[in-house]
Amino acid sequence: MNIVVLVKQVPDTWSERKLTDADHTLDRESADAVLDEINERAVEEALQLQEAHGGEVTVIAMGPDRATDAIRKALSMGADKAIHVSDEALHGSDVLATAKVLAKAIGTVENVDLVIAGNEATDGRAGAVPAILAELLGLPQVTQLRKVTVEGTTIKGERETDEGVAFLEASLPAVVSVTEKINEPRYPSFKGIMAAKKKPVSTVTVADLGIDASEVGLSGAYTQVLEAAPKPPRSAGQRVEDGGDGGSKIAEFLVGQKLI
Amino acid sequence: MNFTLSEEQTDLAGVLHGFFAAGRRDLASVVDEVTDPVDLVVVFEEVGHHAVAGPLIETLAVVPALVGGLGGGAGLGSGAEHGSGAGLGGGAGAGAGAGSKAGTWSVAFPPVVPHAVEADHYLLVEGDTLREASPATELSSVDPTRRLFELTAGPVIATEVPTHAFDLGVLMCAAQLLGLGRAMLEMTTAHVLARTQFGKPIGGFQAVKHHLANVLIGLELARPLVHGAAVTTTTRDVSAAKVATSDAAWNAARIALQLHGAIGYTAEHELSRFLLQTRALRTAWGSPSLHRARVLEAL
Repeated sequence: MNIVVLVKQVPDTWSERKLTDADHTLDRESADAVLDEINERAVEEALQLQEAHGGEVTVIAMGPDRATDAIRKALSMGADKAIHVSDEALHGSDVLATAKVLAKAIGTVENVDLVIAGNEATDGRAGAVPAILAELLGLPQVTQLRKVTVEGTTIKGERETDEGVAFLEASLPAVVSVTEKINEPRYPSFKGIMAAKKKPVSTVTVADLGIDASEVGLSGAYTQVLEAAPKPPRSAGQRVEDGGDGGSKIAEFLVGQKLI
Repeated sequence: MNFTLSEEQTDLAGVLHGFFAAGRRDLASVVDEVTDPVDLVVVFEEVGHHAVAGPLIETLAVVPALVGGLGGGAGLGSGAEHGSGAGLGGGAGAGAGAGSKAGTWSVAFPPVVPHAVEADHYLLVEGDTLREASPATELSSVDPTRRLFELTAGPVIATEVPTHAFDLGVLMCAAQLLGLGRAMLEMTTAHVLARTQFGKPIGGFQAVKHHLANVLIGLELARPLVHGAAVTTTTRDVSAAKVATSDAAWNAARIALQLHGAIGYTAEHELSRFLLQTRALRTAWGSPSLHRARVLEAL
């Protein structure tokens, strides 16, 4: 079973994320870049399926040059090879362009049975790429899964939402996205780290994938960010001295805020 | 000559940091087949950095070196486990993985007392003779996470054991002390930035800064000795590294305790684990005076 895992390098989840002044895109230089945690789980799931069913795990990442660190992490966990789509033209791509590029990149891998992605990246948080991707590839989408099993050419999954759990089934090949409940990702072993160095990583541009540069990036995006302002600092709030009437003052405040 | 760690070694340190921080302790799953002394130093500095307890030095470094040095496919396998005569069973898993796969090991090099935290197997090295052993009297340690036992010698497993196994243990202990020192410096730095006195963080006062600078200098000057000893693995270099890291970590412990306002004395505070382990490891695998004597002898 050949599996493709989509990974993204994101600013560290715990860091303060900023937008650049020039074009309101994510300021990737201002924070430590890490492999998105949900992708670690996606890689883990792929490796578990590989252990059970054999085949090859290919990692695909789209991002600037430094995304190689995220790719190395995935390879040191145990993935077999990687494709890195890196191109200046991709800067500022929206979800549609991202999915388009990823679909083409997946097309370069032979006999793909399963595509695994995280449900959403911690930086963009659109959570739409797996679905768009499935549409573009013409494959069934089984998204937001907390459990995945493969039986023959069928994939079964449990999708957990606020409304309950849905039991889904689709035929392979399919696109799957996983949530943080899917598994506990493994730690790369030293052997894995050493082996990752020798694993093949092919770097491709959008031209290599047969995509016109004008379709992607900021200029190709369907939306435009005209203005962005940082979140205002938290103000001090209002202090009520309790002189026996604290309760009614709180009630007054809440009425003033139209909360009660 | 390249003195810096490779990218892979830095990655390994990063992985181990996350691994220990997440509360994981099954180290063998990450560092299986690590045999190079430099790689092991990276591992044990991180072990110290998180004050991880247990007979890790023996299990991951010393026993594989003892077994590996005995040549070829000789593995301390199931034979020792079941106590069926000679410990050098037909176990195929020789070398690096031998210790970790067959459980944890504790090794005694008299006069050095073994530190066994529920080790599964015990070995005793006297001169160049390797014996099986069994725990006898329990001794007390300054560090409650360490359980010291005197060992009773059992049947001889092998003679002419490699002498470098002990040195490897000493070196790993030095690396662990380095990690402990670094951890205590980090904790103290965080504390002095948070704790305020006279209206500003105490870290802003020059006397406090000087203390921390001295700790940092001690650790930074000890680190190259450890890495150097990992490359040469000569007795002289290993002993020098142990002396330097013992002093540096001990100084870090004392300064950390003072700048924490002595809170580290109480077992409730995180710092106490680091203080006690530093105090114990300072004299484990040979006291500073023993190692000073070894350096003198080698000059």
